[in-house]
Amino acid sequence: MPFTSAARSQSLSRRAVLLGASSLAATASLALAGCTPSTSSTGSPSSKGKVSLTFFNQSRGQEATLNALAETYTKQTGVKITVDTPGPVDYLPKLQALAQSKQMPDIYSSFTATAMAPFYKAGWAKDLSSDLKGSWGKNFSPAVVKLATFAKGNNLGVKPGIYTVHWETQTYGILADPTASGIDPTALPQTSTDLISTLAAARKNGQGNFTVAASLTPQFIQYLASNWLTDQQISDTMAGKAKWNADGWRNAFQFLLDLKKAGVLANNVIPGGSNDNPTVETDFFTKHSVAAYFDASPGVSVAHATAPDYTSFISLALPQAPGASLSPRSPGVPGKGAVINPRGQHPQEALAFVKWLTQPAQQQVFSEQAHIIPTNPTLLASGKLPTQLTGFASGVKNMQVLTNSFTSQVNDAITRDSQSLVLGEKTIDQVLSDIQSAQNLSA
Amino acid sequence: MTVSSAKPSVTGAPRIRHRGRQRRRLVGLLFLAPAVVLIAVFTITPFFQAILLSFQSWDGVSPDTPFVGLANYRYVFADTEFWASMKNVAVFGIVGFFVGNGVSLGMAMAVQAVTRGKTFFRTVYYLPSVLSVVVVGMIFSSLLDPQTGILNRMLHSAGLGVLAKDWLNNPAVALPTVVAVFIWLHWGFGFLLFLAGLQDIPKELYEAASLDGARFWGKFRYVTWPGLAPVTTVVSMLTLLAALQIFGTVQVLTNGGPGYHTMVPTLVIYTEAFTNNSYGTAAAMSVLFGGALVLLSLLQLRLSARRNRA
Repeated sequence: MPFTSAARSQSLSRRAVLLGASSLAATASLALAGCTPSTSSTGSPSSKGKVSLTFFNQSRGQEATLNALAETYTKQTGVKITVDTPGPVDYLPKLQALAQSKQMPDIYSSFTATAMAPFYKAGWAKDLSSDLKGSWGKNFSPAVVKLATFAKGNNLGVKPGIYTVHWETQTYGILADPTASGIDPTALPQTSTDLISTLAAARKNGQGNFTVAASLTPQFIQYLASNWLTDQQISDTMAGKAKWNADGWRNAFQFLLDLKKAGVLANNVIPGGSNDNPTVETDFFTKHSVAAYFDASPGVSVAHATAPDYTSFISLALPQAPGASLSPRSPGVPGKGAVINPRGQHPQEALAFVKWLTQPAQQQVFSEQAHIIPTNPTLLASGKLPTQLTGFASGVKNMQVLTNSFTSQVNDAITRDSQSLVLGEKTIDQVLSDIQSAQNLSA
Repeated sequence: MTVSSAKPSVTGAPRIRHRGRQRRRLVGLLFLAPAVVLIAVFTITPFFQAILLSFQSWDGVSPDTPFVGLANYRYVFADTEFWASMKNVAVFGIVGFFVGNGVSLGMAMAVQAVTRGKTFFRTVYYLPSVLSVVVVGMIFSSLLDPQTGILNRMLHSAGLGVLAKDWLNNPAVALPTVVAVFIWLHWGFGFLLFLAGLQDIPKELYEAASLDGARFWGKFRYVTWPGLAPVTTVVSMLTLLAALQIFGTVQVLTNGGPGYHTMVPTLVIYTEAFTNNSYGTAAAMSVLFGGALVLLSLLQLRLSARRNRA
């Protein structure tokens, strides 16, 4: 058959049809594959009969220690542990994505109760209540277990139970450079007024030398309010059972204004931004542009990682306010810890690993290498903590143990309105009214 | 015989042409289909899913997504934070549109006019656009630090310490500061398109204008501006949409603060979904905000079309 132009055009057309059809088929199959619900079961697959677990880790500060401990565990038991650390900012969105695609890891880091509640409610967390009733429970101070407990009728609507175990007790306090702040480690300020006057006296060129990141103001306010409010009253306010216009809250916000009035608040503002607390930490540990600031105990492990040569700072609990009816108590927060996915392929092996991880020997490693306050009562009592953690550790004894938490809306309102209060844009009454509105909206 | 044998070929030719046209149409559709499938899966479907979600309650994890009617919309209409953010983003849009495009056009005209170093200026002016928003945020956070930042130090060195500010935490200057960073980050895009547009305008038109006695403003008004009309339409619409959808710059620099002074709708939506776990409310905000953007784009296209016709 002669190869005419018509034949060529026909042959080309056939080729074009085939090309178009195959590209459509490829695209459609890819799209359909993406739309198909994942049939793979959750958890990590095991290969050659060996168990393999994935730990989805939130904290960069403990990553190296966790990896080293996981390696030790693998050598001892043959169970392979893969630690996946997406970074603190990406942790929650990625965990949500994993839950949505039903690809949850075997073990994952605990975070704030408010942020984790949806995972617990959706059944992605094993209730450890019965496991903790045995000898394992003795590895944790009763306060930490209570902090991790979701009681009946909690304001987050989580089914009663204990879904997390922790190897860190997190408290709050002030980190200060004794020289720059004028705070004598051997004679700490006895009242909040003393604290302000000490800081005011140590100012250079009239510049403020104390700061608190906007994102930590809810805990700062909660700590200050405990001068006048009991744990129950604070918890009731968080749950919407008590109003925000109580004097305790009012006095707590007044302290922010007192700091500003005394000229000790750096730049006369509460710094914000998505990276506010890391920026404040850099200002203190690296740039030394502030003499003291409010932070949580993991700040010490940040210093250890980012400015290891700077060790001359101290931590101290917030001193009592004049006219306080109670001793101020740090907000108690379960720190670094783990949640076990009951729908993983190896929940028993995951539980065994977490039990091993929370044994005193491993907690000791975490405490020494990551500079954190352990949860084991014996370790806590031994006093073998870095000196910079002493002030934070002193807060463990009487920390607030609450059954409720700030809702995210209230947290946001306190964060933003504290800034507005210090800037003089809002009065304390307006701030409390805004927070009450946020509380009502989140009900 | 000859005639009768020729008849079928006469009637067969249109049929072959018709089949050829059909085949070409089929080929065209098949080549188009992958793009249509991808757009349907990744654009149209999420769009309708977002609308559906705006009538549901979902925490981002739970398998249950109960319908709540108009509750999410009622919440959004009562949410002062969201509407405050809409006001802020209007500032971003207006300033970004006029100042941002003005700066881009000015730079493009300056570079077009220079005879030496054109490549250098083209590269330098476009450079900010290739930087990551997060990197830019970190750089400017450092530059604008009230105590250790270069800007305040320079002002103090120059004896202008009175002008030194806490640029990102002072409500009086926080929004203008973030807008300025946004313009700096985005001017390269408009600059490059305007420059390409300027290069397309025939030089003879400028020569003719000169012979007619036109000066700078006359040449700009009657040659440059009409010549840039198609580019201006594209640049202004894209700049406006980029300004209204600003997210990364604000999140890294101020996270919407101090208070709500630099809060923008995209950040409110992000917080609502990922911090407050209220995906339904976030979807309702997205629908309202997205709808406003669509209306604005249509309005601008209409105005541009009218201008082009004139």
